Amino acid sequence: MVEKFKKHIGYYIVLFLIFGLGLLVTLMASPNSKLQIFTISLTIILYVLWGIFHHFINHELTNKIMIEYILIGSLGLSILFFIMEGGGL
Amino acid sequence: MRELLRHLFLPRETNNYRARVLHHKILLLFTIFFFSAGVLMSIVRTNFPSVLGTFSNISDQQLLDITNSDRQTAGLPPLDLNGDLTQAAVNKANDMFSKDYWAHVSPTGETPWVFIKDAGYNYVYAGENLARGYTTPQSVVAAWMASPEHRANMLSPHYKDVGFAVETGKLNGEDTVLVVEMFGSTNFATENVATKQIQQPAQVAVASSSPTTVQGTNGSSSGTLADQKTNSAPSSNLASGLPANQKTLVNGLTFSSASARVIISLFIFVLIMDMIIIERKKIVRFVGHNLDHVIFFSILFIAILILGGGAIL
Repeated sequence: MVEKFKKHIGYYIVLFLIFGLGLLVTLMASPNSKLQIFTISLTIILYVLWGIFHHFINHELTNKIMIEYILIGSLGLSILFFIMEGGGL
Repeated sequence: MRELLRHLFLPRETNNYRARVLHHKILLLFTIFFFSAGVLMSIVRTNFPSVLGTFSNISDQQLLDITNSDRQTAGLPPLDLNGDLTQAAVNKANDMFSKDYWAHVSPTGETPWVFIKDAGYNYVYAGENLARGYTTPQSVVAAWMASPEHRANMLSPHYKDVGFAVETGKLNGEDTVLVVEMFGSTNFATENVATKQIQQPAQVAVASSSPTTVQGTNGSSSGTLADQKTNSAPSSNLASGLPANQKTLVNGLTFSSASARVIISLFIFVLIMDMIIIERKKIVRFVGHNLDHVIFFSILFIAILILGGGAIL
């Protein structure tokens, strides 16, 4: 796992930048929940694109892997939708 | 049962060395479930407001006790709960809901001092703290105490009275709990009256964050305050249609946020276990990087904690 992380350190720096920025904007958007939800959704979409791009660059991309990232992203979006509707945000 | 749990959450031969909950079909099922649950909760929230809604566990007395406890720790006398200031706070909260704003000064220009004066409280000093999105009195007071400007209001020696309003309603289209705290004193502070300068609390910048101290003469407000009466009718768009603070069966935001965090934690656990076991067994699979997903779900967990959190003004 550590070796994998070191091997792909450049990609992970980009990932942490995406997530760091996403969290920062989410924090700054408070108490505007709609803007927060938009920011988190955008971060999720960027994660999916990052995942697919990452595997594509490394010649590891298969349909199965692409679907996995899309499903994980969709799950994140559905959880966000659940909180938005349930919490009246 | 144990075998089923292993099959669902741990990589082994029966699930082709990938925890069953990480298979595409199950991920899709979870996604559909959460979308459906969101739609269902929205329907319940709209049609059965007594079942699912937004409420707080905050009472005036709790806020007063905690505020006075902090004041006593700072060596200051306790504040008295004042009916007029409480009415002013309630009117301000309802005005915020009816005109849909989150600010010390309303879109039509009413400052907090107008509400205080209209409630019949002839202040010499007055101040206002606002909070939204908090569900416990401890969290509200802690947030105010952590902010230098709000803390200055709470620990001001000028104030003798206080009034609170905790109201539930819709603000910017979202259900929220508003807490308004109005401070005041009808007398000059005895210790340094001679040196006091008149401050202009009615300006937005001052009212929004500073200790918002007003000094007038003989109980009159400073000249910058509007004379016109504000008609602060009770809010007509309270989210649940229930009186403020009346508890619904389930607090929607708390429930949905907590449920989501449980599921996310489960996925983080499963992904980490999957990663460890597969690495130990040296099994080669063509799947996405578990580490990516672990980071993703961890960030989502943090984002949900931030989402819908409280804010002060």
